[in-house]
Amino acid sequence: MSDDLRENTAPMDANASPTSPARLCEWLKRVFSTNSSTSVPRMRWIALIFVAMFVAIGAKLVYLGLKPEPTVIRRVSDAVAAARPDILDRNGEILAADVKTMSVFAEPRRIIDKDEATELLTAVLPNIEARDLRERLGSRKGFVWVKREVTPHQRDEVFHLGLPGVGLLAENKRVYPNGPIGAHVLGFANVDNAGIAGIEKYIDGQGLGDLHGAGFKLAQDDLRPISLSLDIRATHAVRDELQKGIAHFKAKAGAAAILDVNTGEVIALASLPDYDPNNPTDALDPLHINRMSVGVYEMGSTFKALTIAMALDSGKLNLNSRLDARGALSFGRFKIHDYHAQNRALTVSEVFTYSSNVGTARMALGQGVERHKAFLRKMGQLTRMRTELPESAEPIVPKTWGELNTMTIAFGHGLAVAPLQAMMAVGALMNGGYLITPTFLKRSEAEAKKDAPQVVKSETSEMMRYLMRLNAEKGTARKVDIDGYFVGGKTGTAEKVIGGHYSKNRLFTTFMAVAPADKPKYLFLTIMDEPQGLPETGGYATAAYNAGSVTGKIIERVGPLVGLPPRFEPPKLPFPLIAKLGYGAPAPPAAVTGGH
Amino acid sequence: MLRFLNIVAILALIGSAVYAYSIKYQTSFQAEQILKMKHEIKAERDAIAVLRAEWSFLTRPERLQQLSDRYLDLQQLSVGQIVAASAIPDKAARVDSIGQRLNSLGLDGSTSAAASGSENAPTTPKGTGRKR
Repeated sequence: MSDDLRENTAPMDANASPTSPARLCEWLKRVFSTNSSTSVPRMRWIALIFVAMFVAIGAKLVYLGLKPEPTVIRRVSDAVAAARPDILDRNGEILAADVKTMSVFAEPRRIIDKDEATELLTAVLPNIEARDLRERLGSRKGFVWVKREVTPHQRDEVFHLGLPGVGLLAENKRVYPNGPIGAHVLGFANVDNAGIAGIEKYIDGQGLGDLHGAGFKLAQDDLRPISLSLDIRATHAVRDELQKGIAHFKAKAGAAAILDVNTGEVIALASLPDYDPNNPTDALDPLHINRMSVGVYEMGSTFKALTIAMALDSGKLNLNSRLDARGALSFGRFKIHDYHAQNRALTVSEVFTYSSNVGTARMALGQGVERHKAFLRKMGQLTRMRTELPESAEPIVPKTWGELNTMTIAFGHGLAVAPLQAMMAVGALMNGGYLITPTFLKRSEAEAKKDAPQVVKSETSEMMRYLMRLNAEKGTARKVDIDGYFVGGKTGTAEKVIGGHYSKNRLFTTFMAVAPADKPKYLFLTIMDEPQGLPETGGYATAAYNAGSVTGKIIERVGPLVGLPPRFEPPKLPFPLIAKLGYGAPAPPAAVTGGH
Repeated sequence: MLRFLNIVAILALIGSAVYAYSIKYQTSFQAEQILKMKHEIKAERDAIAVLRAEWSFLTRPERLQQLSDRYLDLQQLSVGQIVAASAIPDKAARVDSIGQRLNSLGLDGSTSAAASGSENAPTTPKGTGRKR
């Protein structure tokens, strides 16, 4: 080797220049000579150079090994929509599930011709804007989305483009097969599969969000499905009947729910108008709120149940105690009137069945402001009720609470609560006195009663059930007396406040029903916003006609669905305590039309 | 002798090398197979998830109600249509109508079996039953 070099270089140098080539030639001869005296240090040099080279290569390898360039998959895992657990109803029907879709992404740094890529991609994916895409591809980011959730056909086309730096990724897309049914409970997830509202948000709050945030890649089968308390069939039936009712009575809005009074489970919840969670932008419309838990309303006469329960529970009054309901009750310049004025002394039972404002106001006054307030606080009516749903509303409580407030709140005016909150309180009056916070997750009775405080005596609860039943048999709630279900009910009509005054013709009607009244299982509530009087109702728009008839239809339709078998003979001794105390049914009141 | 041992050693070496390679290739083949299976399982799972979602989409109560309103003559269940189990009458005593008919024709069990056995055995009882 060295000989060849010498032979090659020597003549060339000699030709090029006479003086320095001679010296160069000498030097080269010395360097490439095979003389043993010079070759040993030379070999050492060469060995050193090689060692240095290998050390450098090794160091670079170690460096690369220690600092890996983030791969696409790694970078993508933050961006990709993560898996979420399925949501099932109480019978195992799917309410929300993940399906896999393909999304197109790009790595701008690896795209060779960005203009060509933009052109080809916009040709295949027609609904993305070319300029916007070109801008995104021109960025210095390592990863950008081109289009989320493409169709299988578009996926194949993008694949066949074969563009370097453009790829496809499987993502999870949340679907809600039942559309608007149960939408207010489910909430929805955004395109990144993060829960935004409802139970979906609750799931994220339970640690799923943290796990995703920490970079755990959860697959579908790592996640246990979540069972809700909702029954999708019952929910559909409720929504369907409510929809018909709203259309029939030309109401602005409405809501209905079924609560299991023993477990606090919400079996069905519908609030109209509603939205389809598959199209979440609709959910932002303020008209589409969940009227059961986000809206707060003056519940009207259904609140009388609370007042009467308070009076009975205190032991000061019993069912036959008489209250003066002659004429209007005056307080300062205010006068409280009765809708079905009887102008005589009424028993407590009659106060309930005639829905006497004067009677309940006197009852609350008899207890005093402080005890009334304390009772309502104990029943959870003065503080915000918290369920799994992140959306909730604070009740509107009067800032200064005087005797007049107590009088009006006694019959449901002057205190606005979420309807579900009122259901919780009435549920406690029905189920033997346990205040059970409603839940949207499946749970057993033992679990529900474990932490539930007893807020009224079980005797009081029985008396209230008796009154509810009496009211459905003979009082204002007869619309709901469906054969075979032994229903009890209470109407409620509140006048809406328009411009600071109660309006006589803009009504907010509520109807609370319990079935069966002897062994309570379900509590039904229907509310309607500004229903109109119809010729067939004699022009009346009070609760019994609209909310009441809708509740009746709901009970009739839902009863067989939710395990409420109709009975053919009325129960033999539905209220043993009432019978023991010797309260016979009082003389049947004259026909009452249109509950208030 | 030494040469023979050398040859044996070389052959053993080649043999073990071939064996080792074949094992290695089999292993990687199986590993690939497992990977493929895993992908298939994943694809199947995804497909199942899609089908389940589709099933619940197609059987959603809203749609079923529309379909039944359009195509079926069903009405809403009323309470009057539900009957307690105790209200259902007891099952009537079992009547051997075929036997009775045969008896009334003057043929008793044994002769009819013998007679029909030779000719068209399966059709005779069926025919009588239907006439009833």
